[in-house]
Formats: sequence, C-alpha cells, structure tokens
Amino acid sequence: MLGPIEIEVIRNALTAAAAEMDVTIWRTSRSTIVRELLDYSTAVFDAEGNNLAQSARIPSHLNSMSHFLRELLDKWVDPESWGPDDVVISNDPYCGGQHLPDITAFKPVFHEGRRIAFVGALCHHIDVGGLVAGSYAAKAIEIFQEGLRIPPVKLIENGRRNEGVWAMIRQNIRKPDLLLGDLQSQIASLEVGAIALRRLAARYGADGMIEAGRRILDMSEQAMRAAISRMPDGTYEFTDWLDDDGIDLDKPIKLHVALTIKGDAISVDLSGCSPQVQGPTNATLASSNAAIMFAVMSACDEPFAANAGCYRPVSTIAPEGLVVNARHPAPVVHRIAVTHRLLNAMFGALHQAVPDRIPAAYYGNSYVCTFQTVAEDQRREVLVEIEIGGTGAHPKKDGVNALSSGMHNNSNIPIEMIEAQAPLTITRYGLLPGSGGAGMRRGGLGLAREWRIDSPRCFFTANMDRFVHAPYGLAGGGPAAVGRLVLVRDGVESPLPPKSDNVPLQRGDRVRLETSGGGGFGDPARRDAAAVARDRALGYVA
Amino acid sequence: MIERPIRIAVDIGGTFTDLQVLDGRSGAVQAWKTPTTPEDPSIGLLRGVTEAAARFGFALEEVGLLLHGTTIATNAVLERKLARGVLLTTAGFEDVLEINRHVRRELYAVDPDPFPCLIERDRRLGVAERLRADGSVETPLDEASLPTLLARLDALETETVAVCLLHSYRNPAHEQRLKALIGAARPELPVSLSSEVSPEIREYERSSTTVLNALLVPVVKAYLGRLEARLGEGGFRPLVFLVQSNGGVCSLRTAAEQPARLLLSGPSGGALAAGRIAQLLARPNLVAVDMGGTSFDVSVVQGGRVSVVTQGEIDRLPVRLPMVEMRTIGAGGGSIASVDHGGRLTVGPRSAGARPGPVAYGRGGTEPTVTDANLALGRIDPEYFLGGAMRLDMPATRAAIAEKVGTPLGLAVEAAAQGVLTVTNASLGAAVRLSLFEKGLDPRDFSLLSFGGAGGLHATDVATEMGIREVIFPREPGTLSAYGILYSDLVQDIARSRVLPAVPASLGEIGALLGALRAEADARLAQDGVAAAARLLEVAVDMRYHGQAFELLVPWGDVAAPDAAALATLVQRFHTIHRQRFSYADEAEAVELVTLRVIAIGRLPKPDAAEAPPAARPALKGSRRVFEEGAWRDIPVWDRDALPAEDRIIGPAIIEEAFATHWIGRGWAATRAEAGALIARRDA
Repeated sequence: MLGPIEIEVIRNALTAAAAEMDVTIWRTSRSTIVRELLDYSTAVFDAEGNNLAQSARIPSHLNSMSHFLRELLDKWVDPESWGPDDVVISNDPYCGGQHLPDITAFKPVFHEGRRIAFVGALCHHIDVGGLVAGSYAAKAIEIFQEGLRIPPVKLIENGRRNEGVWAMIRQNIRKPDLLLGDLQSQIASLEVGAIALRRLAARYGADGMIEAGRRILDMSEQAMRAAISRMPDGTYEFTDWLDDDGIDLDKPIKLHVALTIKGDAISVDLSGCSPQVQGPTNATLASSNAAIMFAVMSACDEPFAANAGCYRPVSTIAPEGLVVNARHPAPVVHRIAVTHRLLNAMFGALHQAVPDRIPAAYYGNSYVCTFQTVAEDQRREVLVEIEIGGTGAHPKKDGVNALSSGMHNNSNIPIEMIEAQAPLTITRYGLLPGSGGAGMRRGGLGLAREWRIDSPRCFFTANMDRFVHAPYGLAGGGPAAVGRLVLVRDGVESPLPPKSDNVPLQRGDRVRLETSGGGGFGDPARRDAAAVARDRALGYVA
Repeated sequence: MIERPIRIAVDIGGTFTDLQVLDGRSGAVQAWKTPTTPEDPSIGLLRGVTEAAARFGFALEEVGLLLHGTTIATNAVLERKLARGVLLTTAGFEDVLEINRHVRRELYAVDPDPFPCLIERDRRLGVAERLRADGSVETPLDEASLPTLLARLDALETETVAVCLLHSYRNPAHEQRLKALIGAARPELPVSLSSEVSPEIREYERSSTTVLNALLVPVVKAYLGRLEARLGEGGFRPLVFLVQSNGGVCSLRTAAEQPARLLLSGPSGGALAAGRIAQLLARPNLVAVDMGGTSFDVSVVQGGRVSVVTQGEIDRLPVRLPMVEMRTIGAGGGSIASVDHGGRLTVGPRSAGARPGPVAYGRGGTEPTVTDANLALGRIDPEYFLGGAMRLDMPATRAAIAEKVGTPLGLAVEAAAQGVLTVTNASLGAAVRLSLFEKGLDPRDFSLLSFGGAGGLHATDVATEMGIREVIFPREPGTLSAYGILYSDLVQDIARSRVLPAVPASLGEIGALLGALRAEADARLAQDGVAAAARLLEVAVDMRYHGQAFELLVPWGDVAAPDAAALATLVQRFHTIHRQRFSYADEAEAVELVTLRVIAIGRLPKPDAAEAPPAARPALKGSRRVFEEGAWRDIPVWDRDALPAEDRIIGPAIIEEAFATHWIGRGWAATRAEAGALIARRDA
C-alpha cells in the first residue's frame, strides 16, 4: 500500500513524463502548425485508458484524448492483441476523435508482462487531403470531402512499420514529408513517455503503478465532487447561437444547455441543441465533452490535478444527430466553432449557479482566414491567420482587451514577419473602441486588422462567426459588438461572407476584419465614475 | 588600465549588499556583507567598501575596478517606479504594445489579468509614416505635424520618449529624424529609439524593450549620478562597470543610455560564477541550481560556456536583449505545503516569502514551509540559523506541520515533514531534468552546482533523484553572484535584423552589414577604454528554415568579410545545431538569416585567487539528532571552514557554514576541492 507521499511523487512523475513527451514533439516535429502554433498535446493514461496526466496546450484537446482511447478499446482495437510495440493511430471523428487534421497516436506500456498504462500524442497536422489545402473547407457537406479518414490502425506493429499504411497516407495528402515527419515525432514522443513510465514501474512495480493510478483518479474525483458540492443545487438553462453553417445562410444554430447540479454531481442535457447541419459546423462527442469539462473545471473554486477522475461527477446527455453529437457522415472540421459556443452556453448556465465567479461571454470564435497570394511569376505564399477578440467582463473585473480565450489559445503573427515574407501589407492593427459590452464591469475590446493585397492575385478563405449573434452580457451588462468583415476595393466597402472558400482578390484590395469584444457584467449605470472617465480618456468607448 | 591592485565586486540584493574583494598582489579573495540601503543603494555600497577596506586592510585609492551588480532597473519595473513616458508609433499601430502576443498563460482562469502595459493608450501617439519590409519608404515621415506632436508631449508632461516604428530595424532613418527633431526642440527630453535599443524584427518585442528602456533612462541616470557623486570620497576613484543581463559588464555611459540591458542581470552573477567554477574545477558540463526563499533557478554550462538566449522577460514583459538562459520554478525555502480537499499534498507555488516567512521565524507565519520541514527533521540547527543571527521556533514548527500536513494525511510529524521534502526534491529534480532534456542533454553527463541559501539542504537528494553522481558546493553559496561578477568581462551585444536567404547572392549585403556592426562594436570598446589587444569580436547569426517562425542562434566566429566558403560553413553549422536540438536537418531546404549579431568582448585581467587555508579549529563541531531513513539518529555536524583537504565526510552528515547548511545524504561522500569548493560524490 502506497502512502500519500508516494502518490504525490508518482503523480508529479506522470506529469513530468507528459511534459517530456511534449518537449519531444516540440523538438522533433517538422511543420509550423505543430511547432509554432503549438497545436498538439501529450498525455499519460492508466491501463484502462483513463487520463492520468496531460501536457495540454490547447483547451480543445484537454480531456478529449481519454474519450478517444476508451472508444478504441471498447469498439475498435482488441486490447488482448495490442502489444507493447504496437502504435495505433486514428483521426476519425466517428471512432472517437474530433476532426480529421488531428491525428492521435497511442501505445500501451507493459511491465513484467502486464499492461500498466498507455501513452498518447495528438498533433494537428498541416494537411490531410480533401477539398482545400489545409483541409479546412468551409463548404464541405460530408466528411469524405474533408480529407483522408484513418480508421484505428496499427502504424507500427511489433516494432515494425506497417508500410502499407504509411504508403496509403503518403498518397492522399498534400505535404507528405511534413505530415509523416510530424507522425514520426509523435511516435518518438510515445517512446519517451514509455521509458519514463517503465522507470517508475521499476521502482513501484506493476501493482504500485495500478494502485497509484486508481488513487490519483479518486483524489481528483473527490476534490471535484467537493467543489461541486459547494455550488447550489438546481437546474440552470441557457441558450446561445451560432450564426449559420455557411451553407444554409440565415439559419442560426441553437446551443441549448440544461445543467443540473445535484449534490456532488453535474449532469448536462444538450437535447435542446439544433439538429446537425449540412456544413462543417458540427461536433462529435469528443469535442463537445471537451467544452463541457473545460467549463466545469474553470468554474470550480479550487485548482486540482486535471485527469479522468474529474470527469466522473459530470455526465452528458446528447442524443445522436444533434450538432453536438453529429452522425456519420456529417462534416465536422469546424467543430471549434461549436465548442466555443457550447462553452459560452455552459458559462451562461453556470452563472446562475455561481454568479460571483463566471464572466460574461467572450468573443467565442476562432477568426480563421487564409490568404494565398500569387505573384507575377506564379510564386505562391500562404498566410493563415487566427484572430481573437475581447474577454467577457467578470463580476470583479473588467474584461481583458484582445486576449486568446476559451477553447483555443494562439498568438498573433508579427506584422513585420508577414510583410517580410509575403506580398501583403497590414494597413491597420488596433483595438476596436466600443466593441466591449457596457456594464458595471466593461467587456474587453475586440480588435481590427486590415490586410492589403500587394500581389496581382490572391485567394481568400474564411471561417468565422459572431457576425449576427453578439457575445452576451450578464446581470444587466450589455452585449459586445458583432464582428464585421469587409472588402475595400477602389475606395468602396462591401461585406465579405464570413464562411467562404477561395474568394478571388486583386492588387490594392483591402480586407478588414473587426472582431467582437466580450460582454459586459452588471448594470452600466453602476459603473464607477472613475472607470467611466478612464474609458473615455483611453478611448476604450466609442 | 588596472594598475591599482584592488578589485571589488558588489551585488546589491533586496536585504544585503554582498562584496567580494580581490587583492591582485596576494590573490586573496575575501567577502563582506552589509545591509542594503533601499532609499539609495549607493550609500550602502560605499559603506560596504569602507568597512571592507578597514577590515581587510587596503586604502580606498588602491581600488582600481568596481564591478557593480544592481537590481535598480529590475526593482523600478517591478515596483512601477518609472518615469512618465510617451510612445511614438507608426500611425494605425498605436495598440501593438497593448495587444502584445495575446496568448494566455492560465488556461482555466475565468478572471484573467491583462498583460502589463507600461504606457497607456492616451500616451501612445501615432506618427504618419510607413516603411516597407525592405526598408524603402511607402509614406514619408510627416515633419509638418511636429509642432502638434511637441505640444502633445508638453501637455502629457513627458519625461521620456520611446520611438518604435514599423521596419525600423531595417531602416532607422525615420526614427533618427524624429529624435533629431525632438532633440532640437526639447534638448532635455531623453529619446529611446527601437533601432538603437533592440534593432530586431518583431514589432511587439521591440516596442516592449524600447518602452522599458525609455522609462528606465531617468531612473538609472539619477542613480548613476548619485553614485558618481560619491566616487572620489576618500580617494575612492575606481573605474566602474555595471553587470548586464548577458553575463558581461558595461560602462556607466552604456548603462545610462541603455538601462534595459541591466534588467535581467540578477542571474548573471550566478551564471558567471558557474562558468568560472567550471573552468577552475575542469568540469565543462555543469547544471547550476540556485535555491533561495521563493524560487529555484536552473542554468546550464555546456562545454565550459554559459547558455545564453536572445530574449528574456520581466513581469511578463519581453526584453529582446541577450540574457543568461534560466528556468525558474516557484520552489524555495518559503514554499508552502498544504493538503487539498482530495487529500493531495502540494508544495508551492504559494510562498510565505520573507514576511511572514516560515513558521519557524516566529513572525506570524502559520503555514508550514520547506524550511520548516528541514527544521522539524533536525537538518537545520534552530540555534545556529544564519550563523546564530536568528533563533528558530521548533515547537511552533512541529505543531504547524502536524496540523496542516500530518493530521490530514494521517502521518506523524516526522513522516509529514519527510514527505514535504520528498515531494519538493522530486519536483526540483523534474525541473533540472527538463532543462537538460529540452536541449537533448543527459543528466548523467553533468555535475550539479548547488548554491543559494536553501540549495545545500536539497542538492544530494535532487542529484540522487536524477542519476547525477557529483554535487559541487561552491564556497560562500549565499554570495556566489558577487564572486562571479569579480571575474566578468565587458560584453557589448550589437544586433541588426535583415531577413536574407543564406545564398552567395546575399554576401554583399551581409558583408556590408557585418562591417558596420563590427566598426560600431570596436568603437564602443575603444570608448570604454579597452586596449586593442584586449578586444575580441564574435559573430553569431539567428537562422531558420524558410517558413519557420523562430530562429536558432548559430556562432560564426570572428568573421569579417565572409566569402562563399564562410557562408557554406555557417549554413552547415546551422544544419548541425538544428539536428542536435530538433533531431533532424533538411539540407535541401532553403535557409534564411534573420538577425546578425556581433558580440564584442573587452577582456578584463583575471588574477588568480589564492587558496584560503582551513580555519585553525576542530572540523567536527559535534552531532545532532536528525530524522533520517525513518528514525532519529545522531548525525555528525562539520564546520566547513575548518575542513582539511584530506578529510572525507561520509553521509549522512551535515556541513555547516555561517549562512548555509549542507545535507550530505546517505551514499554520498564529500571532500574539499580547489577554489574552496566542496565536492560530494555518490558511491558506485
């Protein structure tokens, strides 16, 4: 029987193992999306696939890998024939994943002939084939257009490459060297994790590892239950909206949450959400659960070790065929939009339970846009930008201007770097006065960014939301401004559709994006006079 | 330039001003300590020097060199005691400073604080002008609006101006013209240009660095003014140099114009000492750990060189200037141990700090800390803390550990205290392991260099955890920074960004740029009085594969007018470093140069230090009851200063000195080595 000290040392060592796996991917991966946007995560699981420790960089990955691994063990891979030298990969949302660009690799770890753990690594890959480069088509209407679907398959079997699988992947994607290079770094990271776990097992034995895993999960569950118990019982409902799916315009998508706190457990009923849509604004359960867990864990009043023990007190009701639990073959690549809005809705419901803790809505959106410039000599450069907005006002604080929030977490690209590399000029980049919701606490400001095309031709692709349905305020606070996307050509402004593929642009055109701020909190009339004066002096209000 | 024989290094910390005095005639190195005078640190400095002169028997006029480490810039930023500044930017980009890079650090926080922004929106003024990425002018500087601008500066009661225009790293003309125009109209107003402070690509990092610099100029100038006024008293007229973040020192003039270079100088002294010890003990691979009250800092000496990076940060604000590479975790003697609702024991990152401090200090602390755990187990002597300067409260400490850790976990006081140390040492070990792992290095190839007030109690246990077989305890671990400073050189970093393909066609531009940078470097050293024979120039280049968004620093040696072969060598070296750090290289891929750097070193003479003989008193002080391996035992306590070279101290043992206690764990044996260091080795 291990004491509490050993348990904490093992818990730290598991986290350190996930961190070493993380560093391995950072050190060995090839593509910019993995290495510079840091769009990857690593994790350590117990022998049943429950997440014990993770080194997650992106909230949408948090708490989703365990779901995937358990689905694989339940339905797709025979655990008895999954040996210590077999690496299984998949990217299929309909086998437990999120969307096709995210390929996850798993490997079991054995000690003295017993399976004691799994290690896993998830990377967002730069391209997995399909309709458009980058595999982020805004107009796909079925998953087959979104790229190569890899069912759960042994990429490495008995320590040897399954060459047929490698060849199959290579033949179906646009940047095979980058993707296969990144896959190799995932495999290297699994090995680093396995070595770290075997080092621990040599000290504590297979029984010790299994006991430690069980108790680590129990402790997090207990802490989570204690935190939930401190929230008042009741059922809390909230609805927020996505503008549309890019196909059926003017048809908003409903995200309705009925959240019930009862004692030390929470159940989240998503039955009131819209049916799945034609376009890629759908999510599978792996994605939706990531948003739910993120919301609940953020709302707790005590930090605790994030692992699968935290999931136990939280259950989700989500009938298949809804936008939050899409049925095959719905396209899902823009699942991040669903999770952003689901998180907004979750916070709206949680606000009713713990009103002193929950902020108004953040911008709730990944403003993804791509410029593919074509020079006179046909040379092409691709710029992918992900813009952000303001955070929602908190009961005790104003929202923060321009901060990456909620389900994603990315940095901007320096203007000077963009201009040094592509025939594009940024003609404006600044905060957007008046874009934050009014309130006793003001919402953070969104921002404005404007690109000018300096090449003869350019193709523009966008996938954005919150152009109709504004981020909400709470407790009497006002909503934030909605976004705007406009084309300025020959001095004339016209709106650009926020979900579009390959819009042709020409030299001198300017594209201007204005993003939403965050909602306000509390009655604006109760805002402190000094804060009002400061807003005016700093030009935070229009 | 150093004919007067005494050299003094001063490291001014929050509580104490540490001095190390080297007498060039005898080679003797001696230490002195005096309380810091926060209202004007130069008072304490001079008092310390005067006291040391009396104590060690030298005259103030014999002091030729004063090497000065100061946290004045750092503290001014942390406490926001800064000048009232205005930032001038390219019109339309006034908010770059506030938007920063917009990544959040706390993933789950629902009430994030904004990143600090030192110049608010109403004090950031746009200037109509625009340069392109190649340095050509798209919109000329609007000089006609100067009167309006000056009126705004007056109305804002401006004490200092920062200027950061887009692409000024490529073409400084607009920034220089603005400075000239403002200087002509307001000659008293200091102006910091981004093209002078940090001429590197990436507008936010350059703005941040320039703003910090501008806001510090009046503060640091005032301090240096006070310091200079005191020089001359009693014949004290040394040449003064200040410690910079990059592990070197600079002249007063450089410090006054570019105070941002002092911002992250805190770790420089320790790293310099690590470099010096690596050389003296012939241990080229050291991982240096500095454990104090609140933090644990890890730096790496590899192949005899201290690892340096091109950017650091202070209070979440980036400083794009070279600094010693450091990994810091929030674990120190003051880290608080607690048990959460799930029954989990955590240590840190909350800290009791100096006030109230550990329970043992008896200053109102109620939460047990790492220091308390060490005391409860007998590893620290309650009667001999800080050489007996402070008595520790053992009963209160044991009671707090029982209440906050033991009872919730169902453990006796001793097991609870031991648990706190076990958890702490495991996380210290993980930090060290990660620092090496991310560079592709193996801990077993390294010795651990332990210093800082709390380091000695944990070092052998951490090393055991990591598979490191040798631990070095340098002499006077609490004042090691000052010792490092004693052996520093003048170092001037000059950089300029220019994104260029690494192909022979770029050689003309590279050569011209290098020529200009080298000439500037040489001139700066000459200005600081460095003789030509003592000057050393090194070139390094930030490079990447086309499409990557970050660069690797690649040394290029003392290259002046590179030809195609020299460029090929550089590119090859880039591939090699890339492979070492990231495990692959692609020689078919296009390589780019992003920033050229010249590191100009002015070598200061380094007289050898004499070995101090052991003190003439018994080495064994006695023994103490210590809880070790599950039982209370009598553990011998040794006096470090009296240890003869031939003694071998077998662990478990305690070695004490005035301001530190060292725990030699079971399985370790310690002996005295060169330079007064103590070396512990683990049995095979």
